[in-house]
Amino acid sequence: MNDILKGTLVQLAAMDPEEVSKHFAAWNRDSEYKRLLDTDAPRLNSAKAVKDWLDKELEKQGDTMYWFAIRAAADNQLLGDITLDVMSWNMRDAFVGLGIGPRDFWGRGYGTEAMRLILQYAFTELNLHRVTLDVFEYNPRAIRSYEKAGFRPEGRQRGAILREGKRWDVLYMGILREEWMESSTRIEKGKTS
Amino acid sequence: MKDIFRGELVRLAVESPETMAKSLSRWNRDSEFLRLAESDPAQMWSERKYKEWMEQRMEKDGDDNFRFSIRTLGDDQLIGDVSIHPQWVNADAWVGIALGERETWGKGYGADAMRLILQYGFIELNLRRISLALHSYNERALKSYEKAGFKMEGAIRHDTLREGRRTDGVFMGILREEWLALQGGTS
Repeated sequence: MNDILKGTLVQLAAMDPEEVSKHFAAWNRDSEYKRLLDTDAPRLNSAKAVKDWLDKELEKQGDTMYWFAIRAAADNQLLGDITLDVMSWNMRDAFVGLGIGPRDFWGRGYGTEAMRLILQYAFTELNLHRVTLDVFEYNPRAIRSYEKAGFRPEGRQRGAILREGKRWDVLYMGILREEWMESSTRIEKGKTS
Repeated sequence: MKDIFRGELVRLAVESPETMAKSLSRWNRDSEFLRLAESDPAQMWSERKYKEWMEQRMEKDGDDNFRFSIRTLGDDQLIGDVSIHPQWVNADAWVGIALGERETWGKGYGADAMRLILQYGFIELNLRRISLALHSYNERALKSYEKAGFKMEGAIRHDTLREGRRTDGVFMGILREEWLALQGGTS
């Protein structure tokens, strides 16, 4: 069996609140990172506040919540995090979210590979039936990346986001188990195809 | 959609910890009941201890345990309990059932409740298989489980020592396809 948590560009690793909180605090200073990630008004928090929050959030890890740090395969640099939240086990559906912090790793396939790894995890390790995500209309880079990983657009909440005086849609995307099994983008034999 | 909590003889219900504790403490005075249901040494707890235990259990029950009481359709008598405990990643579950009221033994009440819990497991929880374990000396249960569609899968030899006699722990299971075939396309 292959190492299912390792690709060619990135590997999924444990979340260490001590370490990750410092990086989250730094990445959050980049308001673009924050505004691509969620719809809350960006707020700056000390590394300590982020650590306290993370300690609490990580307690939720268990049978429904899977949370990994994303690290560069080459030098182990911390690049971001990815969560897979099983919304309902009886429907076998999970919600995924990911963020890449350092700007020089945006648009270079790191996020896409992390997503491919988590899809493999979702479908072969957790035996899920589908994976869902949402993404903001103003984040075309993410939309392209998710499409590359095999997600299809499924719907949109029109005008759900109000930013800089303009209303934007929240897009929903999903991938079904059968689609993933057939998709050429899935990771096989430890390699990205 | 049909009522999945209602069978031909019984329905699946929920009880307050008080009601359940009252019945449990009475049922457990019957050592035969206890020794068919459990492998722990037969012992009696006070009604109060059962109530506290039920409260704790019910609080812990979430997505990984679904607990029901069994009531007769005829006179709404509380006669037992059944629970199903999914292992979600493998879409498997363990099921356990017990009828405390002796006069309901061997009359199909348990098999009816088991059919309801199997239906719940396969069409509501979308499971792939359901497992159970029993003592080899519980022949009435074995027959009832076979009637509900379970197949013998194995036995842990001599896992129980009671009254100087060693008996086996028996494992039974039913796969989704097998259950669907039993429904004859009506479900």
